[in-house]
Amino acid sequence: MSADPLLSVRNLKKHYPITKGILKKEVGRVKAVDGISFDVAPGETLGLVGESGCGKSTAATSLLRLEEPTDGQILFDGDDIVEHGDADLKAFRRRAQMMFQDPSSSFDPRMSVGESVAEPLAIHGMRDRARRRRIVEDLLERVGLSAAAYDRYPHEFSGGQKQRIALARALVLNPDLVVADEPVSALDVSIQAEIISLMRDLQTEFGLSIVFISHDLGVVREVCDRVAVMYLGEIVEVADTETLFSDPKHPYTKALLSSIPTPDPSRRNEGVELSGDVPSPSNPPSGCRFHTRCPAVIQPEAFDLEQAEWRHVLDLRLRVERGVDASDIREFLVAEGEAPTPEEVPDAAVARELRREFDVPQTLSDPNAETVLSDAISALVEGEHDEARRTLNDSFSSVCERDHPELESTSAGTSAACLRVDTERRIDPPPTS
Amino acid sequence: MMAADTPSGSTTAAGSTDRFEDVDWDDLGGLGLPLRTGLLVAVSAIYALVVTTDVFLTEGSVLSGTDWLFVLTLLVGAFFVAWPLAENRRLTAYYWRRFKKNRAAVVSAIYLLVVFTVGTVGPWLIAKPELNVIAAYQPPVFVSVDSSVPSACAGAVADGMCHGTWKYPLGTTSEGKGIAKLVVFGMRVSMQVGLITMLIVISIGTVVGTSAAYFGDLVDEVLMRYVDIQQTFPTFFLFLIVTYLFKPSLFLLITIFGFLGWGGIARLVRSEALQRREEEYIRAAENAGASDGWIIRKHLMPNVSNTVITAATLLIPSFILFEATFAFLGLTDPATPSWGQVIASGRGDLDSAWWIATIPGVFLFCTVLAFNFVGDALRDALDPRSEGDA
Amino acid sequence: MSMLWYVSRRVAWAVIATYLILSLTFGLLVVAPGDGQTAFAFKAATQGGNVDDAKETFDEITGRDEPMLTRYKNYMVNMATLEWGWSYTRNQPVLTAISEAYPYSLMYALPATLISIVLGYAIGLYSATHQYTLTDYFGTFTAFFGISIPNFWFGIMLILVFAVDLGWLPSYYQTGKGVWTLANAKQLILPIIVLSTGAIAGNMRYSRAEALEYVHADFVKTARAKGADDWRVLVRHIFRPALVPLMTILVADILGLLFAGAYITEVVFQIPGLGLLSYKAIVQQDTALVMATTLIPVFIAIVGNLLQDIAYTVLDPRIDYGGR
Repeated sequence: MSADPLLSVRNLKKHYPITKGILKKEVGRVKAVDGISFDVAPGETLGLVGESGCGKSTAATSLLRLEEPTDGQILFDGDDIVEHGDADLKAFRRRAQMMFQDPSSSFDPRMSVGESVAEPLAIHGMRDRARRRRIVEDLLERVGLSAAAYDRYPHEFSGGQKQRIALARALVLNPDLVVADEPVSALDVSIQAEIISLMRDLQTEFGLSIVFISHDLGVVREVCDRVAVMYLGEIVEVADTETLFSDPKHPYTKALLSSIPTPDPSRRNEGVELSGDVPSPSNPPSGCRFHTRCPAVIQPEAFDLEQAEWRHVLDLRLRVERGVDASDIREFLVAEGEAPTPEEVPDAAVARELRREFDVPQTLSDPNAETVLSDAISALVEGEHDEARRTLNDSFSSVCERDHPELESTSAGTSAACLRVDTERRIDPPPTS
Repeated sequence: MMAADTPSGSTTAAGSTDRFEDVDWDDLGGLGLPLRTGLLVAVSAIYALVVTTDVFLTEGSVLSGTDWLFVLTLLVGAFFVAWPLAENRRLTAYYWRRFKKNRAAVVSAIYLLVVFTVGTVGPWLIAKPELNVIAAYQPPVFVSVDSSVPSACAGAVADGMCHGTWKYPLGTTSEGKGIAKLVVFGMRVSMQVGLITMLIVISIGTVVGTSAAYFGDLVDEVLMRYVDIQQTFPTFFLFLIVTYLFKPSLFLLITIFGFLGWGGIARLVRSEALQRREEEYIRAAENAGASDGWIIRKHLMPNVSNTVITAATLLIPSFILFEATFAFLGLTDPATPSWGQVIASGRGDLDSAWWIATIPGVFLFCTVLAFNFVGDALRDALDPRSEGDA
Repeated sequence: MSMLWYVSRRVAWAVIATYLILSLTFGLLVVAPGDGQTAFAFKAATQGGNVDDAKETFDEITGRDEPMLTRYKNYMVNMATLEWGWSYTRNQPVLTAISEAYPYSLMYALPATLISIVLGYAIGLYSATHQYTLTDYFGTFTAFFGISIPNFWFGIMLILVFAVDLGWLPSYYQTGKGVWTLANAKQLILPIIVLSTGAIAGNMRYSRAEALEYVHADFVKTARAKGADDWRVLVRHIFRPALVPLMTILVADILGLLFAGAYITEVVFQIPGLGLLSYKAIVQQDTALVMATTLIPVFIAIVGNLLQDIAYTVLDPRIDYGGR
């Protein structure tokens, strides 16, 4: 990369306070975006992917300062826009624009689409109405509509056409950067292809940089040069598109990729199923945020279980931490016909049921682990919650919940935030990506 | 248009370019204020000047306070309702198509237009009804009544029955005033009450509502608490007290109802503004670099206005009914010819001259009904969210 | 924050509103140009001879010789302790006049309220569940009719048709016909009709709109799909949730619309209830009576709003007391 990046985000954070009472005391924070960093080069398309709720939309609005970031630096062409005053910010707006997700609500229903597209021109001082009109008519034609569309109203267009208009509005100020927030998610698959192709053509013609936000990996693969994967407010992997798809390093990326449906019948059922509950951004897990669901979570040194078993044991332990009541299991078993009353349900049956619920085998492959587990379960069955919890926590803890991994370069030339990657790091300095 | 696909852009005679990528943002040039704003400022200045001269500087006014307010209402209507409708013709046509579906409303709208025109223009063209004892109790045309009822029958007398004539097409009152004339003058009174009060209510309500929504927190709390208090006052009784203590007049009625009746609109505007603020097109405007003022003016106001217009139109019937009721009770200025007054004067003669109490009431009823139909249809046409129920 | 806290806040609020209204009316009384009762007092004073002496006596009688604050205090105290003064036109204490009048108001107002509530809600609910049928259109039409027709004119028209032309019912109310007699009932029919039409219409529209929201709701479709019959669906699944907002407008409804409507009804039909009492007081310039009879509905409205707010929060589980 010879040129300086156009956009350089460093440790961007956006937290929303949770308040209580009339005085709005802060009792917690929703950490929607909790420290992300990435670069975008001129003319490059960077993809930002993740599940719903991972913070990618918030990242988009924060990086354009449509919402005020809580912390971090956003360097656009060398200037930190977080520091900008109103005048500078307005000038910045001319150079960085956003394309919104929902074509139905991103246009004022009382303005004609031509007026909506022309509005940015008027805001930035172009008073000549006729001139605005000519420019917009020209632009509408270039995105594939007719100039006559100027006078029509949003309700007269289809979703795909409205996204073309949204694209026109994003371009009208001739920006250097366009942040597209799920631009094709609301469209039919056939229309998606058209819009994507249009975006690519326009990008080439005008040398745009694009930050392409999506949850649809298939689309991302078509459009982006590089991809950043987000999970719960953090970036867990950054890579060139092809490298990411062929050799993902982060377990979350692997899980995401495996969920893309493939038409190849021999490769079905290879999907990685994520277990456990999705955490909430107001209370993210300690250490590596993905540890509650990661299939590759690291075992303690003392044990040598099969990875899948370990994952299930960990699930069980985490659930017990939150509170499991043996009497619920007893009642369930009564309903299943094991015994007439909860008290008469044998302890062994309860233990069996508990294991079964978490897919933990009746006997673990590692005898040491098995001992600890059965002790803990016995304690739980007898109602000794605290003892059970302590036993489980002491023995079955993972380094993944203690240490927070940072983005490190991997052997594939990508960056990933995973403790396993850490241990694979080469001695000599990795190439910058 | 211009030549397509010229990479370096083409220029028109004025030297400006037509392609967005060729815009030189440091050198734009441009015209002054748009036409409508200029006109608005000019007209406001003239109006203010004329009113001040007439009311404060000269002896005896050309127009009464109420009439000046009516002129103001008409001007506001022209600038803020008629002009935007004419400008956005496609949108207006779209709304009209939806409105047209309700046939009762279309008929009502035509009726109201007639009433408005006759009420505004009529009193200038015809003389005020005058006391004329000889002509008292004349029956309307096509109606005949026992000839002992009128003091002197203006029409033919046959079989002891006095027949109505075209001279007094709707008959006369006990004072000999032509009811047709009274109806026309009454139209103006009702129109003035309805429209002026609506203007006051919309103005205050919108300002308060948007302020509460925009500034939030303490301002919001204080304003809404005040609205709560104001809404608990039954305006009817407050007005009773005020008219009892002070001299009654149409102006007083309009001002009191206007200044005490805006609470509902304020709440509506506030909740609409709060909702709209979250819409994505507001975000899009911010993204384009719009200031708060721009967003409020160009996006919030027009979108809130739909609901406000509907709500206000539905308020007009209550205002008209209130005025008629007070006129009926004799608590308004006796010099103002109002439908309610005529009805009251005819109450004692129900068994003989029944038309006096009946006919003005028919007009009153039709006018109020028409406003209700139109308001209902407006809601269906303008407010898409109500499209869940019939 | 709890319900008790919220309720006490609302009550305090009602007290403040009352206080404000009383102060406002006091202020109006002070700045108003002479009214009838003071004119009467002035005349009484001048009949004593010397004009200056008369002025002094006058000031004494009307209390104008005292400083503003004392007058204010006296006014407030009197209002609170129900010392509402003397009606000079009826030559009796204001309170007595009121207590004599209100039974007449109740005689037609209570039946009218009941009818309008029951009929209004029933028709509204029926309309909602039988949309687009003839009954629905008829109901909507009646609604428009009811809220558009001027009460006083409607009353006069009814008198014209039923009393003057047909002679079936008396054209105005006469006392002395007992309370539970047929004669009394006959002369109450028209007033009740007039008073209920407006209220029915309002209730009907509102309940129809509320019920419609639930008629189309998914959970109703679920109930239907499960095989629940129409009646059960109506009562359990539509009426119950709709009841909450309906209750809220119930209270405000009775008071707001009906008071003004009752006023007119009494004047038109000459029923000697509170409304007519008040009207005559205005016409005859009996200030003390005027103030009392116009303030009563205001206070009842405040109390009504208070009850309504409390009822609403108590009944609707979705509302959180802490946030208010």
